[in-house]
Amino acid sequence: MTDRYPGYDVLNKRWSESWNEPTREVIDRRLAVPRGPRFFTATEWVTLGAVCDRIMPQPKDRPPVPLAAYVDQKITDGSLDGYRYAQMPPQGEAWQRGLAALDQSVNEAHGCAFHELSSERQDALLHRMQQGDLVGEAWGGMPCKLFFNHRVIPDIVHAYYAHPTAWNELGFGGPASPRGYVRMGLDRSDPWEAVEAKPGEDIQRTKRRNDRVG
Amino acid sequence: MSREINAVALSGAALLGLAALAVRPRSIGGAVTPRRVRRRIPAGTIDPSAAVRSARSMNRAAGVIATAVLADSAVEHYRGSFHNKAMVLPLVTAALSLVVSAHGNADRRPAAHHVRDGVYTTAALTGLIGTCFHIFNISKKPGGFSWQNLFYSAPIGAPAALTLSGMMGFLAERVRDTTPGLAPTIGGISAGRAVAAATSVGLLGTVAEAGLLHFRGAYHDPFMYLPVTIPPLAAVLMGHAASGRTNRARPVTRFLLRLTAALGFAGAGFHAMGVARNMGGWRNWSQNVLSGPPIPAPPSFTGLALAGLAALGLMEDHPDD
Amino acid sequence: MIVSVDPFSAPRAANGRAPDVFNRGGWVPMHQFGENDVVDFVVVGTGAGGGPLVARLAETGFSVIGFDAGPYFRPLEDFASDEREQEKLYWTDERIVDGANPITMGGKNSGKAVGGSTVHFAMVSLRFRPEWFKSRSALGYGADWPLDWKEMWQYYTKAEKALSIAGPVTYPWGPKRPRYPYRAHELNGAAELLARGAEAMGMKWTATPLATVSAPHGQSPPCVYRGFCRFGCSTNAKQSQLVTFIPRALQAGAEIRDLAMVGSIETGPDGRATGVHYHREGRWHFQKARNVVVAGYAVETPRLLLASANGRHPDGLANSSGLVGKNLMTQSNQAVFGTMASEVRWYKGPPSLAITEHWNYDDRKDFAGGYCWMAQGPLPVEWANIQTSSRGLWGQPLRDAMQSYNHQVGLKMVGEMLPNEANRVTLADEKDQYGLRIARVTYSWGENDKALIQHALGQMQTSLEAVGANDIFRQEDDTNHLAGTARMGDDPTRSVVNSDCRTWDIPNLWVCDGSVFPTTGGVNPSLTITSIALRTADRIRTLAARGEL
Repeated sequence: MTDRYPGYDVLNKRWSESWNEPTREVIDRRLAVPRGPRFFTATEWVTLGAVCDRIMPQPKDRPPVPLAAYVDQKITDGSLDGYRYAQMPPQGEAWQRGLAALDQSVNEAHGCAFHELSSERQDALLHRMQQGDLVGEAWGGMPCKLFFNHRVIPDIVHAYYAHPTAWNELGFGGPASPRGYVRMGLDRSDPWEAVEAKPGEDIQRTKRRNDRVG
Repeated sequence: MSREINAVALSGAALLGLAALAVRPRSIGGAVTPRRVRRRIPAGTIDPSAAVRSARSMNRAAGVIATAVLADSAVEHYRGSFHNKAMVLPLVTAALSLVVSAHGNADRRPAAHHVRDGVYTTAALTGLIGTCFHIFNISKKPGGFSWQNLFYSAPIGAPAALTLSGMMGFLAERVRDTTPGLAPTIGGISAGRAVAAATSVGLLGTVAEAGLLHFRGAYHDPFMYLPVTIPPLAAVLMGHAASGRTNRARPVTRFLLRLTAALGFAGAGFHAMGVARNMGGWRNWSQNVLSGPPIPAPPSFTGLALAGLAALGLMEDHPDD
Repeated sequence: MIVSVDPFSAPRAANGRAPDVFNRGGWVPMHQFGENDVVDFVVVGTGAGGGPLVARLAETGFSVIGFDAGPYFRPLEDFASDEREQEKLYWTDERIVDGANPITMGGKNSGKAVGGSTVHFAMVSLRFRPEWFKSRSALGYGADWPLDWKEMWQYYTKAEKALSIAGPVTYPWGPKRPRYPYRAHELNGAAELLARGAEAMGMKWTATPLATVSAPHGQSPPCVYRGFCRFGCSTNAKQSQLVTFIPRALQAGAEIRDLAMVGSIETGPDGRATGVHYHREGRWHFQKARNVVVAGYAVETPRLLLASANGRHPDGLANSSGLVGKNLMTQSNQAVFGTMASEVRWYKGPPSLAITEHWNYDDRKDFAGGYCWMAQGPLPVEWANIQTSSRGLWGQPLRDAMQSYNHQVGLKMVGEMLPNEANRVTLADEKDQYGLRIARVTYSWGENDKALIQHALGQMQTSLEAVGANDIFRQEDDTNHLAGTARMGDDPTRSVVNSDCRTWDIPNLWVCDGSVFPTTGGVNPSLTITSIALRTADRIRTLAARGEL
């Protein structure tokens, strides 16, 4: 996957008019998420980490977004979604049941834990979960499809796209207050927005332009 | 809350300043020779230096308009990302107009200068081409000639200011080019009348542009009605002067022209206040100077008013009836 | 830098003052009522329905307290430019959702703040098509409203003026209306694409009338097009209740009680309401009142009425018709998305700067009801959510698909769904942090709903194809605004409130929010809710003068 916005970093705008104090505080807290488990047990944590790696695989050439930590934090902080499917238990219990059930399925089929499987096998299992094909007592009546669609996917994926690293990847303008945007038309952007690398253009030139974004 | 009070106080002061400036019988623009106590030139005699004086004041008028156009088109075309390379042309021609206008202001020779002529003509043409570009820009947008596009696409009246500047400068050269002893004429018409008519039309066009954009701003501040009340009166009176008797004093017309000239500066001040009261104020200049009210636009009124005053002077110096 | 005390930790409207939302660290004086005072009106909820009512009742001279379960935000100090953080604006306490098509709650339709959902809404401010007030008689579906569209037309004007709506000089549909107070905003790229698509289909379109100012208004600067509208406006250009009617309410002598969850409404031996039990600062209190208005929107309002069941009203208050909680309606919010060669960068500006109401006014359809569609501008987390839920993507394919973020374009509908008594709000057995039974929201789409949705998806797809979008995909499952659970009518056996929003059963109990809608229409409901509130305030004044209160 090529870098579409080489050299762009929303954090460079931290002290510009695009960021305000509440935003700086929030992003600082986001970046300082506690890295170890506070809700999950050690075993659950390992499985969770492996699931995160498959749901949102990250490149090795930059510091990874600590997705498992964000999943743990959401539960520890008691951040709720405002609704819950009737067949779903509350989020903490859902995760614990789901991770345990996943490990149990793997153990029954392959005699090991989820994190010890190859990535292909892990993906295959997650696809089966997505289809609703994983069953067993360990699920405790929680439909695996609902668990996948309403816990696994949103908790992990949202954590990724709520992180500045992901915003850089997307070329998203990022925080914008008090300064918003002037040029809103098609193919127009403000000097404080990301510059997209166009095919045929010199990457270094785009990098230099993104360095000046602020 | 105190910001509101400051705004009102400043606005009030500006208005008083406007009125004071207008009432004081002194021409604005730094004429070398004070023109007050208008000399009644006896019919039949021609004052040879009067034509040059009028021409130089028209050079100044052209220069003021060119300055406004230079600054305004620079900001607006920067906002437009110079997406079309031709968008540098108004900056170049307005800058050149400014330079030759300064040259013309210093030049007391009773002869047109071919470089000035060339630059002014180019400016006038560039403005016309710009108007075509802007009309094309508006027509391409969904909705075509709708209020939405008149508000937010390329401003239809803006390039006309460049044309006005070029035209005033061109007329200045024609006035200057008068054979000593004859009254200045342009295309057979008395120069004074021609410039008066051009001023009237120019003022109305600028009023329309200001009125349109103030309409977009919902006339949220009552002072926004000033550019659509005072300059139109001045324009009507200039039209009357252009078609009426030359051999009469026009104190009301002069007053309104001076008021319009002052309004040009006051408008820039109001617009600066407008930038300051937007989110983030001056600190957020990279947004607010571009999207806030255009600070360099109102002084176009000043330039046009100066040309109008020069026209009145020409008509009094060279009565043709 | 003034450090703002956390709005969640303790009430801010206290000690004789309330936050001045326009000035950092500033306060405005607030009149406070004593523990044993009996006020004329208690209003539960300060959103699109509650806010205007608190203000107008106070301006009329009544003593009023507006309660809100949510915090009293200071937009300039509390709002960060961050999707995740700003979930604090939503009702994140749990509701159970079930039925064939469970509704997504939270930020899709439920706010929890002084100012209600208007603190996070997308500001789309549309009038009903006049015939919708007589849907059954004029158009053959749903139910008739006991309101006259011509009277509502006047109240729409008042609401638009109070909210400084920025709209187009002429509006393409419906009867003439006065000019909007402010001019419409500039279109962004996403909106321009809606416009071009509509033109290609021979349809009218317009710049959307929005509740955010396009020029300075009072202490509101004009919109800076930052794009975080649905996550709280830190510019204060957005004309939410928090910056419009609530300050007016305070100035007129009303009290606002933030972080105050009303748990039940008390009734007396004569069956009339006597006041509300509310939870604030860790304990329960009771506020005596001569009238109680419930304005908690379509889930909390029936929840409160049902939870207040007692010996005299065993099925809940105002429920002799059995309709409290029933006829819940949401609106279809499906979308079509695609990728453009141009950079669209839809994160700039309000999400919906252009709209077409064509299918609200064209009746050549083989289904009932109408819909509109509008431009879109999801921020990264929301966009990821759309990609995963619509396309089932995850892993590297998701990351790859997300790369086109700055080239995406989308059209999203707001579609009418029909009332059905089986769609309802009831009380679950589970309890929340206040010890109150939480709401269960049961919903299933009907055949008409599905037909309307498919028609809309087809039309929106055609529009995107017409502008040259590629990789087009549909979001088939999404809904948003709510309505219907305390329906208005002129028959006490078939409705909960009358045209004055007064419950049939209890003369001093009122409902003033979207719950009263008999039908939901094909437009966003907030302007209609506010207009009904303004009318209700006038009606209360008239009734009081006649001694009929």
